[in-house]
Amino acid sequence: MKQFFASACVGIVSLAAAHAVEIGKPAPDFKAKNVKGETVSLSDYKGKIVVLEWNNFECPFVRKHYGSGNMQKLQETYTGKGVIWLTVNSSATGKQGNLGDTAADKVSKEGSKATSYLLDTDGAVGKAYGAKVTPHMFVINKDGNLIYDGAIDSMNTPKPEDISKSENYVAKAVDAALAGKPVANGKTQPYGCGVKY
Amino acid sequence: MKFLLTLAALVAAVPASAAVRSGHATAEWVASSATYQASKPILTAIRLSVDPGWHAYWVNPGESGMKPGIEWTLPAGWTAGPVGWPVPIRFETGGLAGFGYVGEVLLPVTLTPPAGASGPVALEAKVTWLTCSDDACVPGEGALKLELKPGEPLATAFEPLLTKVSAALPKPVEGLALEVKDDGKKLSLTLRAPSGTDSAAFEVFPATPQVLDSAAPIRFVKAGEAWTASVPKSEYLEGTPESLELVLTGGGLPHPATVVWRK
Repeated sequence: MKQFFASACVGIVSLAAAHAVEIGKPAPDFKAKNVKGETVSLSDYKGKIVVLEWNNFECPFVRKHYGSGNMQKLQETYTGKGVIWLTVNSSATGKQGNLGDTAADKVSKEGSKATSYLLDTDGAVGKAYGAKVTPHMFVINKDGNLIYDGAIDSMNTPKPEDISKSENYVAKAVDAALAGKPVANGKTQPYGCGVKY
Repeated sequence: MKFLLTLAALVAAVPASAAVRSGHATAEWVASSATYQASKPILTAIRLSVDPGWHAYWVNPGESGMKPGIEWTLPAGWTAGPVGWPVPIRFETGGLAGFGYVGEVLLPVTLTPPAGASGPVALEAKVTWLTCSDDACVPGEGALKLELKPGEPLATAFEPLLTKVSAALPKPVEGLALEVKDDGKKLSLTLRAPSGTDSAAFEVFPATPQVLDSAAPIRFVKAGEAWTASVPKSEYLEGTPESLELVLTGGGLPHPATVVWRK
């Protein structure tokens, strides 16, 4: 009984401490399987700029960026510049967004141009980063430090027509990292549907 | 006489827009009067009826969500006042703290015709909203059209409800004042409240987004003549806040209150 209580306390503490990622500090390493069954670690990409994109294809705010082709275009543009783009799905089994057995098929159908699509079904990566909603975006520079944590762009709406009216924060952060310049606004409030841990 | 009664019936027949169902809510634009008089304000409201098990959001939605949006298309000279936000409730959506509404909520808006207004008019409100449950979020939108005719005031069936909702909107209270000091990781709030109220019993909601941590309870304790609360900052607050608006209810207040601090 005492042991159960102690481990339950640890559970609560670790959830609270989950938002341990901080702008300017090293981004935590992680390990997850992608849709091809390959194990992917952040440390595989030492020395590269890495974008993390939290995803749930059934969330209307994600559909805004995938239905319009905006997310795929960003993935293609930046992977073409040597940036590593990792899409992360932290939906638990049975919850909205979880891709089940046909994940690879579904990701391909969406036209993803990401380097890898990671299945974080137990939510470990999401909780390590404090991923709250989909899409929640993180950018890590070549030194392995977190330089951006927040929204994909400036307009909290599900409307694709707002994309061209918005400032894309991810593009801004990655462009800055590519130019070796600092990122002006490293942290913004991400918008979207809650991650379905 | 019969003609006048028929005319009155016709005029009274359109005190609201058609109802639009989208996402997990139905939206309607309802008016306290079907007729208007030049320069005289008319009380109307956007009525959002949210499906059971789902919620819509407040002006400060909290850690996630989206506040309802309204875009007006009004005839020349007509104005729509600021949208009124009834006192919200607190809820959690998949562990994320939020503020908003369940069931039915009316967002009051005062329309004012210009001095030279004449003839029948059609006003349009494009409303957008987000309804979420723990399992999903579904956005909604509707183009609501309200038709009004000039004439003597003719109260509609919505008038008593609109008056009641409007009276319950948070408003300033004499003797209520707020000071905010930056305390590093937290903000120190100092409240002065009118006699006869008990600040410790106030239910407090932060109306300004991204200043206070949405998940943090706000409870005032007595400190001499005033009341204080120490609240963690929102993780999205950059530097010190420019302003903070709080909505307060209960504790003997004459009506829901709003109090604003500006730097």
